[in-house]
Amino acid sequence: MFLINCPFCGERDQSEFSSGGEAHIVRPKQPTELSDDEWAEYLFMRKNIKGIQFERWNHAHGCRKWFNVVRDTSNDKILSVYKMGEKPPVNYK
Amino acid sequence: MLDILHPKISNINKNNIDINLSEEKIKINIRGKNKEFFTKVGKILSIILPSETNTSSSNENYDVLWLSPDEWMIYFDENKNTNIFDQLYKDISTLNVGSITDISSQLICINIKGENIFELLSSGSPFNFEKFKNNVGSSTQTLVNHIDVILHHKSKNNVNLFVRRSFSEHLYEWLVDSSNFI
Ligand SMILES: [Zn+2]
Repeated sequence: MFLINCPFCGERDQSEFSSGGEAHIVRPKQPTELSDDEWAEYLFMRKNIKGIQFERWNHAHGCRKWFNVVRDTSNDKILSVYKMGEKPPVNYK
Repeated sequence: MLDILHPKISNINKNNIDINLSEEKIKINIRGKNKEFFTKVGKILSIILPSETNTSSSNENYDVLWLSPDEWMIYFDENKNTNIFDQLYKDISTLNVGSITDISSQLICINIKGENIFELLSSGSPFNFEKFKNNVGSSTQTLVNHIDVILHHKSKNNVNLFVRRSFSEHLYEWLVDSSNFI
């Protein structure tokens, strides 16, 4: 268990949130021009890093807003939280 | 059988905790972002929508709770001005300035008061009530016994809890049961 700092509500328990998987995956502009493999790559393939990962989270049992989180999956430390549409912080890779 | 329209909730007092059904309340959910929306709501309700996280504003007629940056809930007693929904709907929803929904049937209001209510709520909630209990007017959405609730700190040690109708009897039973152990 860990705490997440919702950009709208402040610090709340993880149990109020639901994880939305990897962040910053962009839908291809012309899906019809992609091969099946390329489409599958976009649709299904996700990173599963031990270390720093960019994720989407939803404050499901609070304000119900989506936002982004930079989390170290090896120790659940949250390094940064930023709103949807904002650029990811540059100091993590 | 569970009767979701008429959950069995009776008034009870245990260990300095009063639990009462407060069924006669109108609740309206309002959503919007632009300037026109804020001006119109302000004019109709004579109240400024709270912009600060987890707060509320009140006047003699209404209580307005902050739910998210573009969402609020208004609630008031049934016998107060009853055409406020129609007014809001006509000026906001029909003109696409925002969205107005009557959620009176969706949610039930359970009033909890007494010295030990925050201990009771804390025993089944991940929310930190430290700040909430010292600030009358605070509001929040969180979980109590894994059930979504909206809480409004109406006056000192007096909280209005809003819960979905179909969950209300179960939550009520949990509240009554848990107040034995406070
Ligand atoms: Zn939130």
